[in-house]
Amino acid sequence: MKRSAVSITLALCLGAAHAAPMGFKDSVMTMGDFSQNWRESWVNYAFTARDAVGLGGIDMRSDDKSKSRTLVELNYTRLLQRWNLEHAQANVWLFAGVGTIQGSGFSGSRLAYTPGLQVDFETTRVYVAASARLYRANGLNHDFGSVRVGFSFYEVDYDQTQPWLVLEARRVRGLSDKTEITPMLRLIHNRYFVELGVNNSRQARANFMYVF
Amino acid sequence: MNCMSRSLLALTLAAMAASSFAATSVKATVNGMVCAFCAQGIEKRLSKLPATQAVYVDLKQKVVAVEAKDGQTLDAKAITAEIIDAGYDVIKLETVQQSAAEIKADMKGGK
Repeated sequence: MKRSAVSITLALCLGAAHAAPMGFKDSVMTMGDFSQNWRESWVNYAFTARDAVGLGGIDMRSDDKSKSRTLVELNYTRLLQRWNLEHAQANVWLFAGVGTIQGSGFSGSRLAYTPGLQVDFETTRVYVAASARLYRANGLNHDFGSVRVGFSFYEVDYDQTQPWLVLEARRVRGLSDKTEITPMLRLIHNRYFVELGVNNSRQARANFMYVF
Repeated sequence: MNCMSRSLLALTLAAMAASSFAATSVKATVNGMVCAFCAQGIEKRLSKLPATQAVYVDLKQKVVAVEAKDGQTLDAKAITAEIIDAGYDVIKLETVQQSAAEIKADMKGGK
C-alpha cells in the first residue's frame, strides 16, 4: 500500500496522459495513442457527468523489442473534483481498471489491476497535466507516469481549429530506462482532437480522441 | 392621409411586426469553458432540447446562447441542468429578444 502510494507520487513527479479522459453525460468517447512501443486504445461511456465505464487495451514493448505485454482491461473513470473558473478549468481524475495481461517471459495470462490518477489545469492558451497509472500483475510492474505542458498559438472561435504545441515526458517501469520526450502538434476542433509528434528516439507518435 | 403620414404609419406597423416576431434566446454565462473539444457537450445536449432552434457557443466571452423555436418557450432550468451535465457551471442566465445569429454578431462586433 505504502509502496503503491509512493509509486503514484513518483510517477506524478515524473510524468501525464491525455486531456479529459471522458466526455459529457451520455456520451461515448474513443481514444487512441499509437507509437512504436506503445499502442493504446479504448472506448468509454459516461453514465453521469462524473463517471464513465469502458473497455481498453494496450500493447507495450521494451526499447530493445525483447519484452512485450498486451493488456486488456475494463476500466472506470471518475471525475473526483472539478474547478470551473472564469478563465480556466482544473480537474482531478481517478482511474480504476482490471483485466488480463499476456506477454513474453511468462506463459498464459495474469490478472492485472491498473489504478491511476490524473490532475490537469487548462485555460484557452495553456495546458498542464500530470498522470500516473500502476500497471501491476503477479510478478509484473509496468507503472506509467507522464507530465504534459502545452500552449496554444492563439485563441480561436468555437467552430475553428486551434493549434497547440504540447511537450510530454513519460516513463514506463520495467520496459524502458529512458524518459520518452515527445513534442507534439495538437489540433483541436469542437469534434476532433489530434496530436502528432516525434519522440526523442525519432519514433512517430499519433493520438486522437473523438466523442460521439 | 398625405404621403408623409402614410410612410410613418407603414414604418410603425413594420416595426411592431418585427418586434412581435423577434427571436427569443436564453443567454448563459458559463465558467470553465476553455476548450472547444470539451465544450462540444454543451452544444450537443442543448441542441437536443425540443424548443431549441439554434445554439451559439463563444469560448472567449464564456457565453452560450440558445434560441427558441417560433412559438416555443425555453426552460431555463433545463438549460442550466444540461450545461451542468456537460461539466460546466452557469454563472448568469438571461432571456433576450435576439436570435443566436444576432448574439453572435453582437459578440463579434464587441471584440
